Amino acid sequence: MESFVVRYRNLLVLLALLVAQILGLATQVRRVNKEQSGDGSDVRLIRLWANAIVSPPERILHFSGSGISWFWNNYVDLRHARQENAELQNTVDRLRLEQAALLEDAKQGQRLQALLNFQQKYIYKTVAAQVIGSSGTDQSRVFYIDKGKNAGIDRDMAVITADGIVGKVREVYPRTAQVLAINDQTSGAGVIMESTRIRGILRGNAKGQPQIEDVIRDQRIKSGEKVLTAGGDEIFPRGLPVGVVDSIANDPERDGFVQVIVKPAAHLNQLDEVLIITSTEPRFPPDEQKDMAATEALKGAEAEQQKTSEGMAEKLPGLIDPKLPPDQQPLNDTSNPNPVSRPPMAIRPDRFTPGNAVTPAVSTDSQSGDNAPAATTPSAPKKPAVQKSPSTPQNGDNAPATAAPSAPKRKPAAPKPPDPSPNATPASTPQSDNPPGRTP
Amino acid sequence: MSVLSAESRREYEIHRYPALIYVLVPVVAIVLQAWLPRILGRFIWFDLPLVVTVFFALSRRNPIQGSILGGVLGIFEDALTGHAIGINGIAKTLVGYLAASVGILINVENHAVRLIMTFVLSLVGSATYFFVVRFLLGLTIDTNWLTELYKAIGNSLIALVVFPVLDRFQIRD
Repeated sequence: MESFVVRYRNLLVLLALLVAQILGLATQVRRVNKEQSGDGSDVRLIRLWANAIVSPPERILHFSGSGISWFWNNYVDLRHARQENAELQNTVDRLRLEQAALLEDAKQGQRLQALLNFQQKYIYKTVAAQVIGSSGTDQSRVFYIDKGKNAGIDRDMAVITADGIVGKVREVYPRTAQVLAINDQTSGAGVIMESTRIRGILRGNAKGQPQIEDVIRDQRIKSGEKVLTAGGDEIFPRGLPVGVVDSIANDPERDGFVQVIVKPAAHLNQLDEVLIITSTEPRFPPDEQKDMAATEALKGAEAEQQKTSEGMAEKLPGLIDPKLPPDQQPLNDTSNPNPVSRPPMAIRPDRFTPGNAVTPAVSTDSQSGDNAPAATTPSAPKKPAVQKSPSTPQNGDNAPATAAPSAPKRKPAAPKPPDPSPNATPASTPQSDNPPGRTP
Repeated sequence: MSVLSAESRREYEIHRYPALIYVLVPVVAIVLQAWLPRILGRFIWFDLPLVVTVFFALSRRNPIQGSILGGVLGIFEDALTGHAIGINGIAKTLVGYLAASVGILINVENHAVRLIMTFVLSLVGSATYFFVVRFLLGLTIDTNWLTELYKAIGNSLIALVVFPVLDRFQIRD
């Protein structure tokens, strides 16, 4: 018996296990059928054990799932993050450089646009140039531009910006030019203060500040006053902005004189683009040229209109008809229901009498009280001579050639008292050659 | 395939592992078997407790230990289900016994033999499971042998990977 057990030990154990489990199954099935309400307490204990074994690791796996995912996303998956970070950093640096370049281009574009607007509106012909270099030392305030002889640049041409004057061209080369700034000690420009109209010479001082010299001490000079070019130096056109008065200091070398420090209007230390005035011939923009042409045309129209009015005056009846005898002149026509009112005759006519400017002293010397005073009238010295000339009544064409242009001709048109003397008749004849309306 | 006497082969090729492996590996197998379906969904084409049972049965070459290990793992599997406890226990007990018994007779160091053994024992376990459910318990079960075939293939592939890994924990003299 013992040998049987030993020999079939494995098989017996298997059978035992199977039978035990089958019995367990049978028990469970029977209880389920009997109670119809789940497992017995002993069966629940096994499930509790299994659950106790499986649930904690499952819970750990469940809660560590997010941790693993986090670990994967933030560590394992970021193996190349450092390299990508470096690449991105390089990209950011490159983009920053590009952004800075674009910003600089935009600023340059704005400056050029402002300069172009100024150049188009400026009356003189200018050439735009870029500042390409400097002297390299603070003692010499000169700089170089990229335009030279080939671009029409010449010495002593004014260099300006839209803000104000910058300096003058000192040396010219084929493709470049050297510009002497106004704050250099060797520079000089005639300037004038806008409100006080005090003139002076603008030079640079040792500190590189432009200052006005040769200015007598004046209480009217205040800080902030505008300084303009005076135009007397034959370099800078008159009226260009130079800057504003920054401070006033006594001239240490000369009593009674002051040195006016000027804050330049142009940014002399940050120049990028400048304009060189190449010609001081006025250059009007197209609109202004149209306006000027229209003005000229208007003047011609006025002359034409004046000529037309003279022609009309010849055709219309006047107060004096040359074809009628004196007693039948419209002025003496008594049949006119609306006669021309005449001022009363002066008892003692003098030079203030209308149409009879005769001074008492002259009138005493005159043979004819009507014509002689006119010869002494300051405004019409030659008219009486013409009127007194015996040849003029017959030759009307000669009368305008010898007569005064306008003032003497206009006087006969004014109402004047009738002259009963026979000498008046010849005098009226030349007036008929120049009707009143024909006065130029 | 050399055939030796059971006792001599068992003494000759018995594998020993640290005690922690005997505890930890079955627990991990049960836990993963319960946890992985949440991730893989319907593609549960493996039975890790069966693979572990086969591995230890083949390694230990002791039918009693294989039967007990299979029975315990099966019971714990059943305990996690709503079914009666013992269905998987009976199946795994039989699988453990057969694996240990075959491991005594043949050299199971070969990977191909292990692959075939796992495949065949998986089908045996599935057949046993259905037998118990259908004939012992008299329950109706949706039998899909194609799924069981996939499960057998999956177990074989897993065994092909896991067995060499577990062999690294073997205690060598």
